[in-house]
Formats: sequence, structure tokens, C-alpha cells
Amino acid sequence: MIEVRELEKRYHKLVAVAGISFKVDRGEVLGFLGPNGAGKTTTMRILTGALPATSGRVEVAGFNVFDRPLEVKRRVGYLPETPPLYNDLDTLGYLRFAGRIKGLRGRRLRAALQRSIDACGIGEVTGRLLGNLSKGFRQRVGLAQALLGEPEVLVLDEPTIGLDPNQIQEIRRLIHELAADRTVVLSTHILPEVVQICSRVVIIHRGRIVADDSLQNLTSDSRSLEQTFHDLTQQ
Amino acid sequence: MRNAIAIFLKEVRIYFTTPVAYVAFTVFTIVSSFLFLRLLGSFQRNVLLHTQRNPGLLKYMNFTDQVLGPLIHNIAVVLVFIVPFISMRLIAEERRSGSYELLMSNPVTPAQITFGKYLSALLVLATMMLLVLVYPLLVSAYAEVGHVAWETVLSGLLGLFLMGAAFVAIGLFFSAVTRSQIVAAALTFCTLLMLWMVGWAAVDNTGLTREVLNGLSAIEHIRNFTVGRLDLRDLVYYASWMVFGLFLTHRALEAQRWR
Repeated sequence: MIEVRELEKRYHKLVAVAGISFKVDRGEVLGFLGPNGAGKTTTMRILTGALPATSGRVEVAGFNVFDRPLEVKRRVGYLPETPPLYNDLDTLGYLRFAGRIKGLRGRRLRAALQRSIDACGIGEVTGRLLGNLSKGFRQRVGLAQALLGEPEVLVLDEPTIGLDPNQIQEIRRLIHELAADRTVVLSTHILPEVVQICSRVVIIHRGRIVADDSLQNLTSDSRSLEQTFHDLTQQ
Repeated sequence: MRNAIAIFLKEVRIYFTTPVAYVAFTVFTIVSSFLFLRLLGSFQRNVLLHTQRNPGLLKYMNFTDQVLGPLIHNIAVVLVFIVPFISMRLIAEERRSGSYELLMSNPVTPAQITFGKYLSALLVLATMMLLVLVYPLLVSAYAEVGHVAWETVLSGLLGLFLMGAAFVAIGLFFSAVTRSQIVAAALTFCTLLMLWMVGWAAVDNTGLTREVLNGLSAIEHIRNFTVGRLDLRDLVYYASWMVFGLFLTHRALEAQRWR
């Protein structure tokens, strides 16, 4: 579903991603881990077509991100690190706008809005201005936006950040449900989260992949994922 | 096109949920009303003067040409100050707040962003034109003699709108090249000010230089409109700035995708 080959991204002289390759199959939930500044967000932005790469190839759902960005964007739901909200719009107005630019209209738009709002539990704040929402609600509105139109691929950059323990459980359950028939790439710093919902893990460090394996293999030999992560990202 | 409309509607909504549009309307109305009252006052004085000394001249006193035409010409200068305020947030604000990421990760093209945002600012501008329409309406409702030459007034408003539309296109471009609304406004204001002041330089010159400087001045090009004359040169002048501004905006947005 997603194929990344020799992906490289430089910001002037700074190398953010130094030639990484990995694959994600349909129905897989990939945990994308790494210390802060490892290149996770950069990679995820490139996957969604929001940022161009310096070199390398990225294919999502059979389309090359650089040649056919619109086709890719149509199939990917993306929740960036900070939810891309308009503080001066109310929740419903914002989601309606997001749905429209995803190509949803009329009855399909209304149905998609309802499903997203229900799934993320934001029904009580649909009339409120986004600028006045708490962090948890902002995060969930951002997620609701990514889910609109049921994209085949979901790219979620730290989706549970800023949520309280109950909400974290709900969102994890939601991602788990969604993963049944779509592909999810998820970055997070909360390792237990990975253990709960991811089937495979890619760990990157300083722009390079230091581990790409199933969760079982990484946590075998009675080593916890924490230990593995610590060992791989300390050098 | 549908995406452009979605962006247009979203921008209009933001204009009218934030104080931006209302502040623009208020400032615009206060300054315009002040100008209108001044022009009206001096017109009345002239009428009184002529009734006493030279009643024959009275039939040459024309309200539209002596009050409404100059009013529109003066309001053109007001737009130099107000348009940067309207256009500054259009793109800069999205890039600062991070909501631009939503547009970047969805199937939206730079052309759709450019047009949607441009049209929303034009709607605010068009509303201001309606506010100007209040003055001739008041006059025609209360004046006991004389009448308003509506063709001339509408032609003047058309000129004002076209000039404003050219200004907004310039402002949109500056909003696309920075994350700071202040910087966008300052650069727009500086450019518009130059387009106004270049006409002053024309006064000190003669011949071709004078022609060229006048030809460059945005405010000079509205003169024909305010006397009810539609000149192709003026239309081309404003259309050029619109196309140029939108083209540069589009280029700027396109370039950012590759940075």
C-alpha cells in the first residue's frame, strides 16, 4: 500500500531523512518510532504529499506522490503533529470545509461528517469555535478531519498527544477498529500504545532506519520495546 | 472550481466571524463620511456664493461632478490604507497557525487556493462599494433640487472596485510570501503608497516622463471613471495588476510546495 524507497530530505545542509526505505501492506498498522528530531514528521509529511522530498520514491496506493500528488492526497487522511485547525471557525464549519476539499458533497458529506463526529466523540462541541476548545478536543477534531471520507491510508502524527487516559483508550480502540480495512502509519512516543495497536514497527534515528520488524520479533527474548528502543537510539 | 468555492466560503466565514471585516467597514465608513461632508460643505458654500454674486453660474453647478466624483477619487486613497489590512491575513495567517497543512495534504491546487482567497477579499471590497452607494442615495432622497447622475456614480464605483481589486491582488501576493501578517501588510502598504505617490512626481515633470509617471499611478487611472468615462487604458491598467498579482501569488504557492 505504501512503498518508500531511498527517501531523502535535506533542509539546505541539514539532512532530516537520509535515504530510508520501507513498505507498509494493506491492513497493517505501522508504528513509526524514533527520538525527537529523528525525521518522523518529515517522513510522514512527505508520505501525504504535503512536503516534497529531495530524492527517492514514494508510492501510496499505487500512485507516485511526486507525479500524482492529487491522487495520493485523495486517498490519505493526515493528522499532523499540531492539528491544522482554523481557530475562527466552529467545529462543524471546519469539518464541512475539510470534507468539501476532500471532494465530498451533499448527502455523502453529511453522512461522512456524522460518522467522523460520532467516532471521535465531538458531538457536544460542534457549535463551538475551535480557538476555544481544549487540547483534547482540538486533537480529536483534527483526527475527525483525517477520517472524513474514509481514506484508504491514515497517517497519524502522535494522535493521542494531549488526551486524557480515557480519551487515549477511546482513540486507540478507534484506530484499532479502523485498521481492519485500511492502512495506518502512526507515530508516537508512548511505547505501550505501539504494543497495543501496531503490528509492525519501524524505528528511525538521525534520519536512518535502525529497526524494521514485527512487534513480536522486537520484543522477543523477554526484552521490552522500551529496552530495544533505548539500545537502538542511544549511539 | 468546487474547491475554490469551498475555500471562498471558508474565507468569507472567517472574515465575518472575526472583527476584520467589521473593522474595515467601520474605518472606511468614518473616513468616507468625513470626506463626503467636507465636499458637501464646500459645494454648499459655492452655491451660496454664486446665488449672491453670479446666479448665472448656478446652472453649471453639478452635484455629481463636484461632490461624488471627487469623493470617489478621495476614497481611492483611503483604499491604499485599508486594503493591506484586508489582505494581510489571507495566506500568511494560515502558514503561521499551521492550518495551511490541511490545504497541503488535501487535493487542492495552488490555483484553487489563490482564486478562493482572492474572491473572498473581493466580496469584502464589493461590500465597501455598497457602503459608498449610501451617499448618492442620501442625496437623491433629500435633495430638493438637482439630481444624481447615476451613470457617472456607477462608473466611478466600478473604477473604485477595479482599483481595489488590483490592490487586493498585490496584497494577496505579499501575504503568500511571509508568515507574518505585519510584514505582509507593510509590504503591501509600501507598494500601494508608491502606486499613489508616483502621480505626485508627475507634477514636477513634463512631456513623456510626465505621461509615463501618470500612467503608472493607480489613483490617476480612476479619474476617467469618476467623470463617467470608460477608457480601455484604465481597464487594462487595473486588469494588468490583477493578473500580475494573482500570477505571482500562484507562483509563490507553487514554489513553497517544492521547498
